[in-house]
Amino acid sequence: MTPKERMAECARRGRFLAASCSKCSRTNPCTARFCPSCGSPDSEPVEMEGTGRVATYTIITVPPAGFEEHVPYAFVVMALDGSDLRISGFMAGISAPADLPVGSPARIAGFDERGIILERT
Amino acid sequence: MRNVCVLGAGSTRYGKLDDSISDIAAQASADAIQGAGISPKDIEASYIANVFGVADKQVHLGPVLMSTLGIPDRPSLSIESACGSGSIAFREAYANVAGGFYDCVIATGVEKVTHTGTNWTTTYFAYCSDFFYEGQAGASFPGLFASMARAYIEEFKITEEDLAAVAVKNHENGAKNPKAHLRKGITVEDVMSSAVVASPLKLYDCCPFSDGASSVILCTEEFAKSHGKYVRVVGSGRGGSPAALQGRERLTTIPSTKIAAKQAYEMAGITPDKVDFAEVHDCFTIAEVVDTEDLGFFEKGTGARAAADGRTGLNSDIPVNPSGGLKSKGHPIGATGIGQVAEAYDQLTGRAGERSVRGAEVGLTHNFGATGASCAVHLFARP
Ligand SMILES: CC(C)(COP(=O)(O)OP(=O)(O)OC[C@H]1O[C@@H](n2cnc3c(N)ncnc32)[C@H](O)[C@@H]1OP(=O)(O)O)[C@@H](O)C(=O)NCCC(=O)NCCS
Ligand SMILES: [Zn+2]
Repeated sequence: MTPKERMAECARRGRFLAASCSKCSRTNPCTARFCPSCGSPDSEPVEMEGTGRVATYTIITVPPAGFEEHVPYAFVVMALDGSDLRISGFMAGISAPADLPVGSPARIAGFDERGIILERT
Repeated sequence: MRNVCVLGAGSTRYGKLDDSISDIAAQASADAIQGAGISPKDIEASYIANVFGVADKQVHLGPVLMSTLGIPDRPSLSIESACGSGSIAFREAYANVAGGFYDCVIATGVEKVTHTGTNWTTTYFAYCSDFFYEGQAGASFPGLFASMARAYIEEFKITEEDLAAVAVKNHENGAKNPKAHLRKGITVEDVMSSAVVASPLKLYDCCPFSDGASSVILCTEEFAKSHGKYVRVVGSGRGGSPAALQGRERLTTIPSTKIAAKQAYEMAGITPDKVDFAEVHDCFTIAEVVDTEDLGFFEKGTGARAAADGRTGLNSDIPVNPSGGLKSKGHPIGATGIGQVAEAYDQLTGRAGERSVRGAEVGLTHNFGATGASCAVHLFARP
């Protein structure tokens, strides 16, 4: 499996796949092949809880192809609990900013043709 | 390194154009050659910026363009760096002249997409994002910048009206630019009541989809002196940022802008307060706010207020986007970065007409690809 496939597989189980750098111990997304801090290629996979808080988002009303039937929906950047990593993804059922204040708790809820799926908790 | 100059510039009108991609590229290039007072035979190489040639059935544009210009034996390099393609092609052209490979080259940027319609263009532009994390999850470009806008509004407590001031100012400038795509004055009220595209960004916070081409001639100073009016390239910088927003330390700054600007200022030996005008990448109102901070004109968090207070208007503290910017002049993505250089050339050689910045000696251009994943900054001065 490629790193992206492993990330997707974890997301289907509601989890986030990180890679802990063997040299400087920084935690990176598993899709980083070298550590952005120290350049090391060596890391250990670490499965993290896919929970966090909404860092920012948008509600899209002019969508790209394939998303027409989902409008309006949110594209969300979520700060993962217990780390300085963020993960972005698709969130259904958001039609007004009142539906999703920044800081709202959320979690990874799957992976499909809409990429990483996030939902409010 | 040798001194490099811009000797001539040409642009088509930006907007919805009927002519083919190769025709508009040829038109702008011919205008640049004639404006420079050179023969096409003086051109030793070409740098062609384009992203979606495939939409108008023409990729590998360089040889087609060179053949049209009567110099089919000259080498060409096609460059794709999303919305930053133009400035990045300009930088490659600059480096090759500075490094002594050529004495005279042409850099042309072109885009032709409007015939494909809103859905196609929105979809294909999203391929410029980090697709696995962003485009695949339904992010559009307005959506990515809207995410930055929401983060900025949360962090610095500004209002959507403050952002709207950027659009109002750029439309005011663009109305004076005969080649601009959207040539009409608008009010804050017009922005606020326009349709939401990706909240909190509305139609008038966004640049339009445009077709268009721009072209410039770069050469050594020695070559320039024996021809027409020219300006010096006094600084050139490049930078990169994590491709996806999620990978950035902060969501309210664009790291590649800061890196590129630092290099360009250091090369020129100047500080931001010495810049008389700047053409910046305002694909969305929030982008201009972030740019003016990252380029060192305003403290982080104060750019929106500065725009709302009129400090970036045509003859104010730091005139930003005298051309009308991407917002009003338009954004044919491959052409934009070279169009900015054309504007700097026009401003510094007294050809900017009604939108001239009085007494301008030094101009800056700033253009990036995607959400600033790649960036180039250049500084120009009168000789
Ligand atoms: C906002 C957006 C979705 C509008 O879609 P579009 O296909 O351009 O819209 P249309 O061509 O149907 O235009 C509808 C009307 O709005 C006007 N219009 C379009 N975009 C406009 C804009 N950005 N600002 C002001 N008016 C605009 C058009 O002139 C047209 O007016 P008319 O009916 O009087 O002629 C699209 O322009 C967009 O996504 N812009 C951002 C482009 C982008 O992401 N670039 C890359 C940035 S990094
Ligand atoms: Zn490391």
